[in-house]
Amino acid sequence: MRKSRIGLATAGLLAVAGLTLAGCATADEPAATDSGSTDSSDSATTGGETYEVYALLPQGNDQPYGTTYLPPMEAKAAELGINLTITNSEYDGDKQASECEVAVAAQPDGIILWPALADTIRPCLEAANAAGIPVWITNADVNPEDAPLTYGYSGTDSYGQGAASAEMMCELVDGAEVGIIQINGLTGNSVATLRGNGFKETIAANCPNVTILAEQPGNWNKDESQIAASEMLTAVGVENVQGMYAADDSMIAGGIDALKARGLDPKDFFITSIGNTFLGNPLVISGELDGTVFQSSSWDGENAVVGIYRAMTGDTSLGRDDDGSVLYMPNPKVTIDNATDPSVAPEW
Amino acid sequence: MAKETLTEVIAVAETESAITKSKTSPLEWVAENGIFVFTALLILASVVFVDGFASLVNITDVFHRAAPIGIVAVGMTFVVISGNYLDLSVVAQVATSAVILIAVSNEYGLPLAMLAALLAAAVFGIVNGVAVGYFKANAVIVTLSTTYIGLGLLRYFSGGSIFFGPPDGLIREFGLGKLGPVPYSALVLLIMTIILGFVLNRTNFGFLVRSFGVNERATRLSGTNTAAVVIGAFLVTAVAAMVAGWVLAAFSNTAVSAMSQGYDFRALAAIIVGGTSVFGGKGSVLRTLVGVIFVSVLTNVLVLSGISFGYQQMALGALIVTAVTVDALSRKVAKR
Amino acid sequence: MSQTMQIGERETSLWGRLRLTIARRTEGRGVVLLAAVLIVVAFTEPLVFTSYQVSLGRIALIGLVALGLTAVILMGELDLSVASTLAVSGVVVALIPDIRLGIIAALVVGVLIGVVNAFFVAIVGINSFIATLGMLFALRGLAFVLSDEAPVKITDVEAGIAFGQPLIGPITPRVLIFILAFIAIQVFVSRVKAGREFFAVGGNRQAAYDAGIPVKRRIFTGFMISGFVAALAGVINTLERTAADPTAGATVLLASFAAAIIGGNYLKGGRGSIVGTLIGATALGVLQVALTLSGVQVPIQQIFIGGILLLAVTTDPANLRAVLGSVRSLRLGRSKLQTPGSGS
Repeated sequence: MRKSRIGLATAGLLAVAGLTLAGCATADEPAATDSGSTDSSDSATTGGETYEVYALLPQGNDQPYGTTYLPPMEAKAAELGINLTITNSEYDGDKQASECEVAVAAQPDGIILWPALADTIRPCLEAANAAGIPVWITNADVNPEDAPLTYGYSGTDSYGQGAASAEMMCELVDGAEVGIIQINGLTGNSVATLRGNGFKETIAANCPNVTILAEQPGNWNKDESQIAASEMLTAVGVENVQGMYAADDSMIAGGIDALKARGLDPKDFFITSIGNTFLGNPLVISGELDGTVFQSSSWDGENAVVGIYRAMTGDTSLGRDDDGSVLYMPNPKVTIDNATDPSVAPEW
Repeated sequence: MAKETLTEVIAVAETESAITKSKTSPLEWVAENGIFVFTALLILASVVFVDGFASLVNITDVFHRAAPIGIVAVGMTFVVISGNYLDLSVVAQVATSAVILIAVSNEYGLPLAMLAALLAAAVFGIVNGVAVGYFKANAVIVTLSTTYIGLGLLRYFSGGSIFFGPPDGLIREFGLGKLGPVPYSALVLLIMTIILGFVLNRTNFGFLVRSFGVNERATRLSGTNTAAVVIGAFLVTAVAAMVAGWVLAAFSNTAVSAMSQGYDFRALAAIIVGGTSVFGGKGSVLRTLVGVIFVSVLTNVLVLSGISFGYQQMALGALIVTAVTVDALSRKVAKR
Repeated sequence: MSQTMQIGERETSLWGRLRLTIARRTEGRGVVLLAAVLIVVAFTEPLVFTSYQVSLGRIALIGLVALGLTAVILMGELDLSVASTLAVSGVVVALIPDIRLGIIAALVVGVLIGVVNAFFVAIVGINSFIATLGMLFALRGLAFVLSDEAPVKITDVEAGIAFGQPLIGPITPRVLIFILAFIAIQVFVSRVKAGREFFAVGGNRQAAYDAGIPVKRRIFTGFMISGFVAALAGVINTLERTAADPTAGATVLLASFAAAIIGGNYLKGGRGSIVGTLIGATALGVLQVALTLSGVQVPIQQIFIGGILLLAVTTDPANLRAVLGSVRSLRLGRSKLQTPGSGS
């Protein structure tokens, strides 16, 4: 037994030693060559150069938004001669941090970062900076104190979306004393938290005559939201509720179905949400949804690439002081007046 | 001949428990039938103390809560009773079935969609069953890997998009349909419970599933094709998950790959609370139904009371531990 | 360890003894998988080796929790609550302003969770799968409640970032702690009497009782190790990321189990090794990093990992022998050649 243990230990040590030696040997070479990526650069670009860019995303084909974010992003990248390596950390902060380490080690020309959790992203930014890799933030911005570590931001303003939805609610209510129910996104998810806070704080500031009687998570799910909304209506009493808000259109569609299931007409309620999606836009046109906020996944995906391109070519530099280092996606409010306008045609 | 040996083994086991049961202490009785009593008590307490619980609308909501998870759970009971822990891949199966139903029926009509979904379910069930039954691999890891594969395939082919059923289609009608306060989906749950209960308790296959859970070795020695039994158990779960996916798709008239999150553990929680042993052998489909009702009512009551999500999770966890503590304590008492 | 009875000729050649050793060890499949992964990756993504500190970090991420988990698995029990323990301890360390106090508090919380788990399993007698499943839910809820359902930043952000910096060469504190934990647990399980008894507790619980092993105490020790290690992982994650995420842990849970299983640990207990878990974690970590670098579409990556896992778990040598045995018996007539089933 002892001999076999020694044999095994030796074999193990040899393996580890071999690995380390291999690592050290190749690490000594100057890391002049790009990452050993096997992706072949296809399209020739105007400048003749191809760039290697890592896109660290927290969603992709597992969510409808991510699904329609990716193709415009990839198309723009191909157009600008950028080779994209895309990751999906599924909103796991630890996973994204680990992917960031991998990305930095690959020494790409740039990193597009969509933080899964703004609070945990600083180490990633510092590592990228130390390695001299420009980072462009997309869709969900980092915390203000971390912004100087980035080259810029393009995307939505989740807090602002919640606020915009609240502004619409305030306008609709027009000073009356009203009770509403609130359906939130996935618990602990940063977009959900920001939108929720944006909505609540704006309501409190602009129209405190609106009282939020109950809130429950709908987890971005239409069916769960329907049940949650219905239960909240039962809990606070339907007669006390005059309005409803959800952090996205899928959930508000569930809430609207909950009203219909009780024989109530959604048109009698003040209903707002966010997204203007394939699910939400028809509801606005039909009058059941009073207002939503347009979010363009294609704008988002494209401008992420535009942003990193400008960072890599020196058009913007570290920090947020330059012009064009912050590109906010327009947050047009969509109501029945402009719902059929092609500029706010739903994308996801 | 071998089958008689097997019957003897089961008979001995049942006699043993019957003998100990004849001196039933109150704790024993509570453990055996506790869940039925607790569920009844919970419903009673909710009707009395929780405003609005007893309203028609809320009862419908409870049914809506219970139906998709319940259908998965009664199917998965087969896997649990056979001693194979659980089937994690129901997450992928439910989403796949929902997406196939809506996406395919939009283009090619409902019958073809249902057939395609059935085919997908069969593949899941057979892959899981063969790996666990024939290769004797651990069910937790096997179903974990099939979940990854299944979700990966689903996302790759569906592109992750959300699919919509037509607003006036059959699917929507089914989702909206009700018999009094009981939605069609709950009726489906009830029918499936009856059918699966029958299969588990009165057919040869069901008997083999149970015996496999009670005493795996004896079942194998008796010459049964145990791989087939396990494959069968996973197929039942797959078909149940498929039906659950249909019901879910009908309810929201949409389908998206993320819609079935958490179904694996929530179904398992319902099964455990119902009193089916994770060790296998002991339990029934009826118990699972009761467990589902209990968990659905509890969650409903917590939301009605305005309790936040964090506390809801804690309550669910405490519930599972309590349910099983009572069960374990009673078994200890019985052994004395 | 008892004397092994030699039936037949004794092998005296080195090659023969090596073969016997390998046949007895459980890590075989893990080693094969690791070798295969390393070879393929060496050709396709050599960056995995050149930037090995990243790979080491990924291995440490998966492996730390897996190590503690293995201690419990060896005894034939399961600990599903590690994911939530990780989250809760992370939140605890973030909530307490004094970092040293916070770390101690978080680790103590981890040990306490282990004690509670062990209480339900050893004293009350609940099946560990269910008990820790309940704890998984309950602790997750606790993490949400403590953190108010949002991430909690640590007070001393600079200290946190410093924690993520390499300490010795490219080795970060995370990797260092992982190595130390590995050595500690491996030594415990292979040299310390109490640790060696874990195998007995898992192999044959009744015989362990009869042999006078304080089974209940061992179960407590095992769960405390698992809870402590999970809390350690949570502290490390929180410090490195400078904030605690109450939703953390789900992916680590599954990866840890996978690492332990690939490494040859039997879920029913009694067989396996810590080294095996290390091998499994290494294989998984390298594979994950390589897949990320390859830029392959994420759904395809998922299919790939799922496929490898499925392959690894269905090709367990013991299982394959059983499959071959049943194939043989099919040909020669079923009832004649039934051998007692080999467990998985």
